[in-house]
Amino acid sequence: MDDQPAMMFRDVVKVYPLPAGDVTALDHVSFKVDRGEFISVMGPSGSGKSTLLNLMGCLDTPTSGEIFISGTRTGDMSDSELTNLRRDRIGFTFQYFNLFPLLNTLENVTFPMMLKSKTAVDPEKGRAVLRSVQLDDELFTHTPMELSGGQQQRVAIARALVNDPDILLCDEPTGNLDSKTGAGIMELMTELNRKGTTIIMVTHDPNNAKYSKRTIRIADGRIME
Amino acid sequence: MIFWEIAKRNIRLHLLRSSLAMLGIIIGVVAIASMGILGNSMVLAVSDSLRTVGDSVIVTPHVGGNVRGFGGGGGASSTTLTITEQNFLQIKRVSAPNVAIPVLQTSDRMKLGVGQDDIVAMIYGLNPDDVPDLLKLKAGDYSRGNSGCLVGSKFADDHNVKVGSRISIGTDGSKGTLRVTGIIEERGMAFDVSTDSAVVATKDWFDTAYNRNDYDKVVIKVKNLDDLPAVKTAIEKQMNKRDTIVDVMDTRKTMETIFQAFGQITTFVTAIGGISMIVAGVSILNIMMMSVTERIKEIGIMRSIGAQKKEVMWMFLYEALILGVVGSLIGGVLSLLGGYAISSMMLQTTKYLFVPSSLVNIVYGVSFGIVVCLICGIYPAWRAANLSPIDALRHE
Repeated sequence: MDDQPAMMFRDVVKVYPLPAGDVTALDHVSFKVDRGEFISVMGPSGSGKSTLLNLMGCLDTPTSGEIFISGTRTGDMSDSELTNLRRDRIGFTFQYFNLFPLLNTLENVTFPMMLKSKTAVDPEKGRAVLRSVQLDDELFTHTPMELSGGQQQRVAIARALVNDPDILLCDEPTGNLDSKTGAGIMELMTELNRKGTTIIMVTHDPNNAKYSKRTIRIADGRIME
Repeated sequence: MIFWEIAKRNIRLHLLRSSLAMLGIIIGVVAIASMGILGNSMVLAVSDSLRTVGDSVIVTPHVGGNVRGFGGGGGASSTTLTITEQNFLQIKRVSAPNVAIPVLQTSDRMKLGVGQDDIVAMIYGLNPDDVPDLLKLKAGDYSRGNSGCLVGSKFADDHNVKVGSRISIGTDGSKGTLRVTGIIEERGMAFDVSTDSAVVATKDWFDTAYNRNDYDKVVIKVKNLDDLPAVKTAIEKQMNKRDTIVDVMDTRKTMETIFQAFGQITTFVTAIGGISMIVAGVSILNIMMMSVTERIKEIGIMRSIGAQKKEVMWMFLYEALILGVVGSLIGGVLSLLGGYAISSMMLQTTKYLFVPSSLVNIVYGVSFGIVVCLICGIYPAWRAANLSPIDALRHE
């Protein structure tokens, strides 16, 4: 499986049927993401970035075409199988961090481990991942509300990495942070990529795109790369 | 177990809202369980009062319709509704080997001592040989001679009558004076003879005092309870060949009818309590829907990072379950107190509260509360589980 691309889109079309007529959000999109790549996806609003992200994250299914995650075709998978795929192979981070307010830092990070194991998990792995994203130990028992934006995003990245996913999907990871904190997050992601994590980042910010090794530009549902 | 933990913390976070929802469940459980306890206590109280007469067939002159006594025999019209010696012997014959006890009864004035006011009480006339079959004494002895009598326990308590006391019967003692030889055990309400507030004299004394040679009713004590319907039928067949001249009552059947009526009343009252539980269930449904609506984004995140639909569903069902279990258990404890208070006020006793048939109502109430909460949690939980992850993530 390691010789397979981390992700591959083959002739993917996504059409939204609307009362006013069908809208083609993605139009015969094909690309490949190799392991260890750091790719940024850029494009104007309405270009199809969100649709692409949803399809990459197995949150949605294409109207036609094929998507492979580490060689596994996702088209015929049931909702339960897609959920397991998200849990085991894909890590998500969001613009607004989206941590669980009822759980503390460490519990937020170990949550995906619990989804996977279905039993109690060793919190030491969660602590190790939190340390790897440069979060102080004293913050492990804090709730998300007690953390700064940059700290919350580090926790979100730790949560995305804790199940050792094949791909880290980031949706505007610095969109809600000041420039200095955002730069810190981007340096963290560069460091993670240097250690082998495959990263696909959707961003509006050209400065962020500079951290990636490759940029996919999308406009009107088509790849302009 | 993380979903259980999240459910607990969400309830704690919205403590006031959760407490109000639980209050509804508490009220519902208390209403159901207390009503059930009260109903059961009433049945037990009546059962206790009637338990001594559940083995009898009571024969009385027929009343209603074309009133015809048979005191004068055959077809003679009369308004004196009594049973003749001849009729009694017929009843006794068809009832054999069960004991047939003829009963005379009237009410009269009596005086319990010099300077005391006259009172009016029921007087029964029974054959002394039959008395032990019908009545049990708590003090003294059965009266043998014609000058002796027994009194009911309430009569004795109310008028400070003891064994050896004398009672003058009739206005100014015109019927004679009787000496109390025994106090009858409390029997409660009865179909045959209600002796608690009465005087029981011998048949011979009664015949002489009131110039009687017939009976007011016949009580048949049936040895084998399964024979009750057969005895009743045999008497009816013998006595009511051409015209209905006697009414025959199977006391066990009558008690069953009474208990059935009490059961229906209890069910009805409990059902009214159940309505409050349904209202509480709607409140739970409302709160769970609010909880789902507030946490749509959270649900979207959970689903996007790998939570299965059923796991999201269980998270909300746990919440409903916690509300149901905690609310119902508190309601169960309070319904015990409520049942105690209601029983004390309405029945003047709590001895029927701590019996299995009463306590089981608390189990029913608690179980119903939990089930209602779970049922009312199903739709919100299902809705949460089936949200589209994309739509849920977009939710603001």
